[in-house]
Amino acid sequence: MRSVIRGIVGFVVGDDIWIAVAVILLLGTAAALERLDIDAWWVLAIGVPAALWISLARARRES
Amino acid sequence: MTGNLLVFLGAALASAVEMVETLTIVLALGVTRGWRAPLQGAVAALAVLVVLVALLGPALEAVPIDVLRLVVGSLLLVFGLQWLRKAILRASGHKAVHDEEAAFAAEVAAARAAGRPSTGVDRYALVISFKSTLLEGMEVAFIVITLGANQGATGIAAAGAVAAFVVVVIVGVLVRHPLSRVPENTLKFAVGVMLTSFGAFWAGEGAGIDWPGDEAALGALIVLTLAWALLFTRLLGRKPQAVAA
Repeated sequence: MRSVIRGIVGFVVGDDIWIAVAVILLLGTAAALERLDIDAWWVLAIGVPAALWISLARARRES
Repeated sequence: MTGNLLVFLGAALASAVEMVETLTIVLALGVTRGWRAPLQGAVAALAVLVVLVALLGPALEAVPIDVLRLVVGSLLLVFGLQWLRKAILRASGHKAVHDEEAAFAAEVAAARAAGRPSTGVDRYALVISFKSTLLEGMEVAFIVITLGANQGATGIAAAGAVAAFVVVVIVGVLVRHPLSRVPENTLKFAVGVMLTSFGAFWAGEGAGIDWPGDEAALGALIVLTLAWALLFTRLLGRKPQAVAA
């Protein structure tokens, strides 16, 4: 069972868990801002490319 | 209408990438060990995938739309970013480019080296074909289910995947050789851009975001995502140096 769960997580999360963590943080921040009646579309528009760039920069360092 | 077309295209491109890789393995098994067992394995895996999509697609469409968009949109966003990350690293030379010719040669060598039963079913060919078709197809099934369920268009996403499958199989039967000229990484890059944009749009809506321009924001997100993905490729840039099977 544990290996099945690990397999599913690996399938979705892929090579870098940072991306999944960043997506959760960004969506949490956006949801919190929207609850405070603050427009939050820019959180994803800026945060998603920033998260990918950090992941790419880490991969570049490792290569 | 545009959304459905993009769902069709996204599913078709993703399916084409994975089908080209599966075709290489089935071809290698077929030319070295005979066609019966590899084809049986591939058909059995496709049947599993069809059942999976047929069951999960409509079931997901029944989930409340906000919950669906948040959960499935987040998964799609993570999945799309992983595809895009891999495509950018390959395009900028930081990761080996997938080479169908090398993969074909490695698979042929492994198939020749494996023992062969004197009678009965060729289990090696059957299992390898089933496993590789299922594994590559799972990504397609995931994309078809998530894209389709969020847009309420599982049938359209499935049609895109089937269209790509038919094209790849016809070309594969005609040339009987790995489709090494297909620009796999470019297709992967395009799919990554689309999945990331769809995922951000839907997950954002699920989290309560009102996108400026509503549905039109999806088109803007695709253009923006493409722009920063190309920029990142350039910033990381160095020429590809290695290939991998």
